[in-house]
Formats: sequence, structure tokens, C-alpha cells
Amino acid sequence: MADDSPQLLPGTLYMLILRALSGGPLHGYAIARRIKQCSADVLDVEEGSLYPALNRMLLKGWLRAEWGVSETNRKARFYRLTKEGRARLVSEENEFNKLVNAIQLVMKTA
Amino acid sequence: MSFLRELWRRLCWLVGRSRFYSELADEMQFHIESRAAELEQGGVPAHEALAKARREFGSRLKASEDTTGVWQIQWLEDLFSDLRYAARAFRRNPGFAATAIFCLALGIGANMTIFSITTSFLFSEPSARDSASLIAIWEGGNSGSSLTDYKFLRASDVFDGTAGINVEREVNWRSGDQTNRFYAGLVTDDYFKTLDAPFHLGRGIAPNERETAVLSYRVWRSKFASDPRILGRKLILDGQIFTIVGVLPAYHRSIVGFAISPEVYIPVRRDDEDVQFYARMPKGMTLPIARARLQSVFEQLDRIYPKDGRKRANQVRVTGVTGFDVLNQNIPGAVSAFFAMLMIVVGLVLLIACTNVASLLLARASSRSHELALRVSLGASRKRIIRHLLAESLLLSALGSLAGLLLDIACTNVVGKIAVPVPIPVHVVISPDWRLMGYSLGAVIASALFCGLLPALKAARRDVNDALKQDQRQTGHTWNLRSVLVAGQLAASVVLLATGFLFVHNLLRATSMNPGFDVHHTIWAHMRLVPENYAGADQKKQMGIVHSALEQLRALPGVESAAITQRVPLNDNCMTETDLRTDVSADRVRVSYECNNVGPDYFRTVGTPILRGREFSLADRKGSQPVVIVNETFAKTVFGNADPVGHTITSDFKGAEPQLIVGVVKDSKYFTLAEKQRLAIFQPYFAYAEPVNLHFLLRTTNSAAAYVKPISGVLGHLDSTAAIETKPMSQALGLALLPSQAGAVMLGTMGILGLILAAIGLYGVLLYSISGRIREIGVRIALGATSLDVLRVIGRQGLVLVASGMTVGLILAFWVTRPLTLFLVPGLSAFDPSAFVAAVGVLLAVAILGMLVPARRALRVDPIAAIRYE
Repeated sequence: MADDSPQLLPGTLYMLILRALSGGPLHGYAIARRIKQCSADVLDVEEGSLYPALNRMLLKGWLRAEWGVSETNRKARFYRLTKEGRARLVSEENEFNKLVNAIQLVMKTA
Repeated sequence: MSFLRELWRRLCWLVGRSRFYSELADEMQFHIESRAAELEQGGVPAHEALAKARREFGSRLKASEDTTGVWQIQWLEDLFSDLRYAARAFRRNPGFAATAIFCLALGIGANMTIFSITTSFLFSEPSARDSASLIAIWEGGNSGSSLTDYKFLRASDVFDGTAGINVEREVNWRSGDQTNRFYAGLVTDDYFKTLDAPFHLGRGIAPNERETAVLSYRVWRSKFASDPRILGRKLILDGQIFTIVGVLPAYHRSIVGFAISPEVYIPVRRDDEDVQFYARMPKGMTLPIARARLQSVFEQLDRIYPKDGRKRANQVRVTGVTGFDVLNQNIPGAVSAFFAMLMIVVGLVLLIACTNVASLLLARASSRSHELALRVSLGASRKRIIRHLLAESLLLSALGSLAGLLLDIACTNVVGKIAVPVPIPVHVVISPDWRLMGYSLGAVIASALFCGLLPALKAARRDVNDALKQDQRQTGHTWNLRSVLVAGQLAASVVLLATGFLFVHNLLRATSMNPGFDVHHTIWAHMRLVPENYAGADQKKQMGIVHSALEQLRALPGVESAAITQRVPLNDNCMTETDLRTDVSADRVRVSYECNNVGPDYFRTVGTPILRGREFSLADRKGSQPVVIVNETFAKTVFGNADPVGHTITSDFKGAEPQLIVGVVKDSKYFTLAEKQRLAIFQPYFAYAEPVNLHFLLRTTNSAAAYVKPISGVLGHLDSTAAIETKPMSQALGLALLPSQAGAVMLGTMGILGLILAAIGLYGVLLYSISGRIREIGVRIALGATSLDVLRVIGRQGLVLVASGMTVGLILAFWVTRPLTLFLVPGLSAFDPSAFVAAVGVLLAVAILGMLVPARRALRVDPIAAIRYE
């Protein structure tokens, strides 16, 4: 299954995580699942890059992590957007939209 | 900003690091289990679900490492792991580590000690608030000017405060029936307010106070038993009563610098007293502005109160009182030169120490080439290997400096306790400060690089295949990098040793030198009178004391003769330069000469022969015909071969009369033993009397020490308020011998240090080279070489090293020691063959000693074992 899912565009993982968290705090597994569901099973976040990415975002101060209880009543680590994270989401989204529009323009007209 | 916040988060992470690992593991476990539960719901059997979830997750170890990597500061992690690795390696080889650390401790410790002494003597920061804004002022190029001028300057309101101090004063302190002399600092009443220095007890002398005193910590401790209730106590100084209002802390450094520290501070009270000017610049004022403002103040002063013959506004100078600015003040060039030389010499010692460690590391690296090559072939980059080896040397030099720091603290403690025998209150306050810390950090890094870089580069350059194939078999090629290092080391220690010996020789020469007078049977009694008690203009009362003192001293059993003098030779001097006229020629001669006023019997007492004419008598006094006695060199310089007795000389001072030469005395030393022979003129003591300080010199029949007590008794009986110090002249030569002693002690020590280090280096190289040649030696023995042959092989290698090192060293030493003539007694040239011979001899002896153990090991080689060793 991993073979036929397309690679994530470089640099978009942060944006996806930020977006996934914009609805409220989630734990790592839930983030991966949310991205997968929302992309209709197209985007599959690799676990090997999910946790480094989350920690990098913690380091940059976009996220905060705290321990809580999961829906299955187990101890889990939940990530929550900080103010900086929200701001970051907006700016990344804008950048990305610009880029996509530009690419589409080229693809349609050139 | 965001960088700082990230750094902060990293540090927080570092602190909670162990929890992080377990939490990350929990988190990933949760992830996998959640996925497994989901798979199970989708119909996958339970045992397969978990395995599948694990497979999907991939390598947990890699994910964990990647995640940890996000937080780590990579170079720091690497450094720590390298240091840990190095520490482990040293624990496995403690002999190596101990030797290296010992060498570095000696080198760095010596450096720190000299550095501490130098900085605290030359660049010490005075104890004051914001000392950067303080300046020293030279009115008319003079370091001191009268209190009247000072008051004018203060009233001009140019500065944020002024301070004046005179440190060249003494006072008699009367306590019970004892009278002692203190070195006093006479300060203006705003001195402590302007400086705003911290106090140990109480406060400073406040404005408008005239009868308060401040004690130094040392006097408080030694003379007042650290009495905590000292404040408010009365102090009788020169017959006046003062109230103690404060005690300065132990670390107090006076603003005058150069470790000059008065024992007691009292207000300056007479307007004609000279003080050194200091001031605090207001915010924004710079030295040039201060100078310009002062210029106009002094010009104004010149207009309002003209002083004949001297313009105050000429040569106005302003300097800071901290750091290098201090060197712009009046300091004898020889003193700075001496410290500069010391710094160079200790630098050399450190260089030798580092070379030792470098050579040890080289040996270690080549015996570890196998290990290193293995690491390279397993994928370690060369950079990583170099970094690892550098970490080793960094650890060594850090440990070495730590030991060196302890050495430094011990040494400076001793130095701080030494009472320097000079007639000014010099007391070095040494405390480790930021400069020392910076210096030692520099020393650590420099020595780590110097020690480690060469071996590391060499080890990393090595061809992996070669190193893996061949085990460390060293054959005859002796002239490798280590040998060059050892030869260089030997060269450096020849230089150090030659310098050390030169100064030891200098000390011996100075000690045994005949100063031109007898020191063994001479006693010096110093009697300081309280000026206020002898205020009469005609000095009748004082003359009465002098005459009855001389009379009673001469009557003491065992005293052959006694005389009074204005200055005691080798303790105080006065150089004068003038154009002289004589009655034999119309030409003027420019001469500079020593001058002294001496009483009748002076030359007989000190044992200086009179070559022609006579001594002074009681008849040579105020009002009688002006007469002088000159020394041989003076006679020769001014009169050539003619007999000067009966001729007159006239100096070009205002109102100078012709002076009749009545005698010629043999040359002697006047101020230092190292001085070149100077010209000297003696005038009758009773023609120009010295009001306060009476110096009696006595000649005794037996050795002088037994007479100290009775002499003090006689003088004390004459005036109980006078401070009296009596000592044999041989003890009073401290000042004259100080330069030679300081030189011999410092440089001799450095020479010995260098020698020890070089010997360790030589020993190490030979031992190592023999252990690499065991097989070769075994083969030689098996083929019939005798012990003598073996020794010859070993000896040749060692001697070639020693000889080449020494040759280079001698050439260097010849050049390096040349400027040292400045510090040597006359007659001793810097090219002192005995010093060179001694240096070479000692080094050779040590070198042979260093070869002994390696040679013994070579002789003990068992040929069978050595060949089988392969």
C-alpha cells in the first residue's frame, strides 16, 4: 500500500500536522490517521518521520505536548497548537496556495 | 530571539533527558498498539495485528534516534562522547596520562604564577568604584604637586571629584613605651569619597576631618590583633592624636599602583605638602578633553600664582589608572623589561611542556595506529578521528591547567607573604581574576592544539591498509617528528638553563661583590624624629640630639667609631646632574653624580679608604668654608691625573659657591650592586642637616649582630617619641640585592623546570624508540653483538639528539641572552662562558641519566623472546 501512495511534497508535513491539530489536541497516532482519512487514504505519513517532525515543531515552539488519556482510556501524549503554531499554519497555507496556483497556471497555459 | 528560545528548550530537554527516552518509547509503543487495535477491528487476527503494526512502523530505533537528533546539539554531544572516550582511554593507561598532566601542570602553573604576579604588579586595578573613569594627573610633568595647587584644581570643578595622596611619608606610632615607624599615605580629605572603595570596617576619612585615620588590613591584623572593636580607638602618630575610623579590606589596592600600599592613611594637613593628583572624569569626558581642561586650569594657576622657574602648564599629562595605561606612568624601564623577559621565559617553559605532551601523544598515536586504522575502515571519517584525538589533548590540557591553577594558588600565596625589602611599602595583592581565567583558558586551548594537532593530523594521514597490514615495527629511521620535537625541546632548555645559570652567577657575584665598604662590622641605626617636636628653625634641639647620640654611641663598648649620614649607601640615593666649573680650567664639564651628606668619621666607619686629603671634621659646618670630598672616579673624570685636593668646583645651581675639595676617597657602590661605577660628591652633614630622619652608622670590633640592642637602648633613651630601627648592615642590603635575587630565583626556577621537562621528554623518546627496536636489538644480539655494541647503537641515537638540540640551543642562547646585560652586575657579561658550560654540562648529565633506563632495557633484551615476539 505504501508503494502506490504518492510521496509527500517536501516541507508540507509541517503544514499537514499543523492543520490536523487546528481542530484541537491529538496524539501522534491520531495525527497520522487524521491526515490519512482527510486525504482519502492518499497521504500516508511515515511513522519514521512523524515523530522527528513533531519534535522539531516542539523545538520551534509551534506545538506543546502534554500527557493525557486517549479515547481507548490509555495514557497518550497529546500535541496542541501554540499561538506561534497557529500563525505558522496561516503563513504556510498561504505560501502553499500561492505555489499550487502558480504551478496549476503553468500546467494549464504553457 | 527565537534562537535563544530554541536554545532554552534544548537545555530544558537536556535536563529532562532520561525521562524523554522512556516517554518516547511509551509514545511509540502506544502508536503501534493503537494501530494494532485498529487492524484487529478491521478483522486481522490479534497476534498478526501487532506484528503487522510493528512492521508498518519500521525501525523504532531509527525513529528514536532521529527524534533525539532533533534536540541534540550535535557538536556538544560529540565532544562529550569524545571526552568520555578519552577519559576511559586514560584510565586504561594512567602512567601516560599522569606524565602528560604533570608536564602540563608544571608548564601552565609556572605561566599562571608569573602571569598573576606580573598583572597584579603592573596592571592591577585599584580598589575603587568605576576605576575606568579615574585618571592620574601630572602637573608640569611632575607626579606630585603642592596641596595649594590641588585645592585650586578641586575648586575649578572640572571633575566629578578629585583625590590627592602622598605615599612617600612615614610616621612614628607610639604605643605604650614602644615607638614604631609606619609607612603613611597622606591623603586629601576627599580621597576616600572620590575613590569610593569598599571598607572592611568603618569608613574613610571624610571631608573636613583632620584627625581621623584609616588602617590597612595588614596593620590591623599584625599590630592590633584584628580587634573588631578598633573603630574609635586613638592612635598617636608623630605625637598627634588620631581616631581610627576605618579598616581597609585585605584585597585593597591603592590607586598609586605597582603594589604600593601604605600601612596607615591620615589626612594631609600642611599646604606645602606634595600630593599626587587623581580625579574622576564626569560621564562623557575623554582623556584628551581632560587634558585640555587641565591645561587651561594650570595656565590660570600660573597667571594667578606664578611660581618662579617653573610653568605648571608645561608638560601636563593625563593617564588612566588601570590596564596598560599604568605603564605610561613613571615606571623604570628595567622593571617592565624584567617582567617581559619573565613572560617570554615562562612561555618557553610552557612550550617545552607542550612539546613533551605532543611527543607522548605522537608515540601513543603510532602505537595505536592499528586501532585508529580499524576505526577508519569501519567508517569513521578522518575528521572524526582528528576530533577524537584533539579531545584527548583537550582533556589532558584541561586537567593539566586545573593542577596548574592549584600550583599557581599555592605559589602566589607564598609570593604574597614575601616582604619585599624596599624602602617603600610594597605589598603584592594577588587574587585570581578574570584576566587569569582568560589567560588559563587561552593556555588550555593553545596547549591542546599544540599538543594534539600534530599527532592527530599525522595519525589521520596514515594509510589505513599499511597500518592494518603492518604491526608497529619501527626500524632504524630515527629522525622522525618526535626526534625533532625532542631536539627542539633540548634547545629550548639550553636557553632556559643558560639564562638561569647566568642569573645565579649574577647573584653569587653580587653577594660576594665588595661594595667598597665593610658590611660585616657595620650597624645601621635609623632614628626618625617627630617633626613637630623639633620645629625650631635653627635645628638646635635636633643637633643637640645628634651630638649626644654620637657621643654616647661611641662610648659603647665594642663600638670603634660612629658617624651620621644623610643617606645610607645601597638603600637610598640622590643623583644630580649639572655643569661643573673648576678653578683649573675655564671649560664647563657636564657631570652626573651621586651626592650624600656625611658627618665626621663617616669613611672610617664604613671602611672606605681615604686616598688623599682628609675626612670632614666638626669644623665643617654651616657658615664655614664650603668643602667637599669626591670619589676616585670623580677626580679622574673632572681633573684627569692631577691631584684635586686644594682645588675648587662650582656647580651651576643658583647662588652656588665654589667648593673646596678636601679629600678623595676610594670608589664604592652607592645605590645598587649592579650599577656601573658612578661619580660621587660628599658634603659635610652639619652644613646641610636633615631634619627628621637620622641615620647613624657604627663600626664594631666583632660581628655586628650583638650590638643591636644596646644601640637601640641608647637612642631610645634620648627621645622616647622617636622610631628606632637598628640592624646590621649585612641585613640592610636587601634592596641592593633584590634585582639579582629576584632574577636568580625566578629564572633559576624556570631553568630547573625546563630541565625536568626536557629530561622527561628525552627519556620518553628513547624508551619508546627502544621498545620499537626490540626485535632489531634481539637480532643483533643473536648475531653476536656484545652489550657494548648494543649500548653504542642506543647511545648514538640519544647522543645525536642531544648534540643537535644543544648546538641549536647554544646558538639561540647566545642571541637571547644578549639583551640581559641590563640586569647584570658590571663585569659579568651576558655571554658568560661559565653559564653556558654549566647549562651544557647539566643537560648532558640529565640526558645520560635519561638514557640509562632505556639502555638497561635494551641490554636486557632476550634474543629468543625478541625474535619470537613477531
